[in-house]
Amino acid sequence: MKFKQQHWYTLLILLLTVGIIAGCSESSTNTDADSDQEETENGETADGEPFVLGEEPLEITMFGNYDWYTMPGWGDDEATAWIKENKQVDITAVDGGGNAEQRLTTMIAGEDLPDFIWTDRGTPVERLREGGALVPLDPYLDKYTNLRDWFGEAGINMLRSEDGHLYQFPNWYNSSPFGNAGYVVNKGIYEELGSPPLETTDDLYEYLKLVQENYPDVIPFEVGIDGQGINVLYSAFAEGESPANINNIAVPQGDQLVSIFTDENYIESMKYASQLFRERLITQDALTQDQDMLIEKVTTGNLAVYAAASPTDHARTGHYALQEEDPDGGYFMIWPIHKEGLDKNEIYPGSYNMMGWNVSVITKAAEDPEKVFAFLDWLTGPEGQASLIFGPEGKYWDGFDEEGFPRFTDAYYEDPEGLATIEEDTANFQWNGNSNFLDTAKANFEATLSEEHRNWTTHWQHTITWDTQYDATQYLNISPLPESEEGIIQQRIGEIFEEARAEALYAQSDEEVEAIMARAEESAQSVGYQTLLDFQTEKWQENLATLAGE
Amino acid sequence: MQEKSEITIERIRPKKKRNIFYRYFKQFDLQMMVIPGLLFIFIFNYIPMYGVLMSFQDYNIFDGMRNSPWVGFKHFEMFFNDPRFMEIMRNTIVISGLKILICFPAPIILALMLNEVKNMAFKRSVQTITYLPHFLSWVIVAGFAMSILATDNGSLNIALEKAGLIDEPINFLAIPQYFWTIIVTTNLWKSIGFASIVYIAAIAGVDQQLYEAAALDGASRFKQMFLITIPSIMPIIVIFFILEVGNLLNAGFEDLLILGDDAILRSVSDVLDTYVYRVGIGSGRYSYATAIGLFKAVISVGLLTLANYLARKTGNSLW
Repeated sequence: MKFKQQHWYTLLILLLTVGIIAGCSESSTNTDADSDQEETENGETADGEPFVLGEEPLEITMFGNYDWYTMPGWGDDEATAWIKENKQVDITAVDGGGNAEQRLTTMIAGEDLPDFIWTDRGTPVERLREGGALVPLDPYLDKYTNLRDWFGEAGINMLRSEDGHLYQFPNWYNSSPFGNAGYVVNKGIYEELGSPPLETTDDLYEYLKLVQENYPDVIPFEVGIDGQGINVLYSAFAEGESPANINNIAVPQGDQLVSIFTDENYIESMKYASQLFRERLITQDALTQDQDMLIEKVTTGNLAVYAAASPTDHARTGHYALQEEDPDGGYFMIWPIHKEGLDKNEIYPGSYNMMGWNVSVITKAAEDPEKVFAFLDWLTGPEGQASLIFGPEGKYWDGFDEEGFPRFTDAYYEDPEGLATIEEDTANFQWNGNSNFLDTAKANFEATLSEEHRNWTTHWQHTITWDTQYDATQYLNISPLPESEEGIIQQRIGEIFEEARAEALYAQSDEEVEAIMARAEESAQSVGYQTLLDFQTEKWQENLATLAGE
Repeated sequence: MQEKSEITIERIRPKKKRNIFYRYFKQFDLQMMVIPGLLFIFIFNYIPMYGVLMSFQDYNIFDGMRNSPWVGFKHFEMFFNDPRFMEIMRNTIVISGLKILICFPAPIILALMLNEVKNMAFKRSVQTITYLPHFLSWVIVAGFAMSILATDNGSLNIALEKAGLIDEPINFLAIPQYFWTIIVTTNLWKSIGFASIVYIAAIAGVDQQLYEAAALDGASRFKQMFLITIPSIMPIIVIFFILEVGNLLNAGFEDLLILGDDAILRSVSDVLDTYVYRVGIGSGRYSYATAIGLFKAVISVGLLTLANYLARKTGNSLW
């Protein structure tokens, strides 16, 4: 029965052999990273004639670094079929298989990267750059000028990495405010309760009480998933600030970023939220519910007020569903709630930044990075954007006007559904959307419509949400890399913050909220919060300088 | 019988000592069948093991293992000094301990109970119904649990309210005190039927003559269960127990990740695996994650050996 000693030895020797063999076989890989680094230093501008799409076939591979992302077939829809045919561009995607992070890691380790990667700004990009996997884009900026023309020099400078080079191509960059954060109100319930004023936090509290009394089965205040609406409430107490402070876990004070746990406005907002929660005015599943539970409530109208980072997504569907039952029902948005005494025009329930959403980076695996850049630059330019969003030239638009915007044909006005189909079909090809171009082009069209013909979301964007979003461009990239000392601190602070937020929401009294915040401050300081804040302050000040054009 | 087998072993031994290769080639055809299995284990379980070296490096994915700097025990020290270390270890051991305490004996009891059922149709349907949850993924099971326990419209809250036991719905998934109970209960529901299959099979293999003899001697059903059934399946129980103890540091992963989503539960739901996932893999700290994984593996091997040593005393050890 005994497992003989000699068997143990055999096992040990076997293991060691495997280790040695495996260790040695690694040797042939990963030697070119350093040599590549040097090459990029030479030549600030690319030489030769610009590459014109369509002159020769161009095949590009891409990877979308998101779990949810699967690229539809390139050329399966009207718009990309036209691009494929006329511009001779063919794109194939590496699929993340629902686990993008792991797929990307495998590709890096296997040195099998695609031509360009579509990903979030910040850590994912910086990690690839530090590993020497990215191609700097500066040499192409003067040769292909759409990015510079539409995005601007200040934006490009904000996106530059530490080494002064530009590696990322932005998506949905925009110089004017955008975003949907705010409060959606159930019209049927609101009117039946006599349309009381809904402007201050006290008004909101009274109204929610009223809802609770009259509709015991309705959720008075819905906060979306992850308690987004609780962050939105912070804006009601903080004049001239936005929930971006909560995401940063840092609050600006003069030229310093300071602790959020000691911030009066934040503590006050948590006391308010905790009171609503305690009195069962907020959905009791605020922090645990999933998307499905939320959608059900919104589409059945089982809530009175709904606040979130983008409540319009579900509320729009809900609005049309409720209107089918009752033409006077549906949802409407209100001007952001403010605390009595604050200026309601300085309340920002959400934030945006000029860099838009995410970026594309071109990797060194690209055979000819210049051509890839040429394609991306074309796609973000007027012809590319118009083809992708409004379809091939000739049907919904024909040529450009003197300002460079597409001239819409009659079909554009008469066939909104066909037009919407094109935009929906290409949603997953919109890697570098140009909001500056599209919004102006669309605005001309929207201006010609009456209110009831406008899309519900568009209507509220124009009347409320776009005016009440905060420009948080200054806080871009203030997060450290996760492996760095500050990164490890940030990870711990993030956990302390999340726990404190949950505890405060479930607290039984205002005093308890204060005690929780004080305790959180203490633990945060003990893991090095100040070091992180100093780091973030420095990055923030650099951003301010860049934005000021220094 | 016992004596007879002793004798045969004595006879074979000298031959075996004389020539191991002779024995090997004599069973060549059989050995060939084992080779694919061995190769499979070697390629997929042993070769990737060199990756644990990563835990002694500051591993950088672009530099690979060859060029990443060696840092000794840095990542282990970092983990042991982490402010959450004690809490994570406590949660891991407590949750795992509760699972052993409750989820381990439960299928044995179920098997014993089913063994006493005489109506075959009833027995079969109970068996089928109890083992089906095993095939559901945790995402679905946790989804069930969440909608049952939800505060707004959760069936449990509605039932309790209707029964007049509570006035206001309870937010079960946001109260740390309830969490371990919820986890153990859902685990029990999901695993009990499937785990009992092996015990039912073992019970079916017990010699019926033993029961007949016992019945003639006047043993009651309970006496038969304790004096015949349980001792007969004891070797199986011990082997499964040893494996379970070796798994002490695997407190579960998907169940804790999904049901323990609320930040307020982190102080009771964060175990080694969820921590590795969140801090290590989630933020790309591969070396750190590997160090914790290696630490876990070393302890597990130790526990397994210890459990086996203890079991050997009873004569039912794994090796």
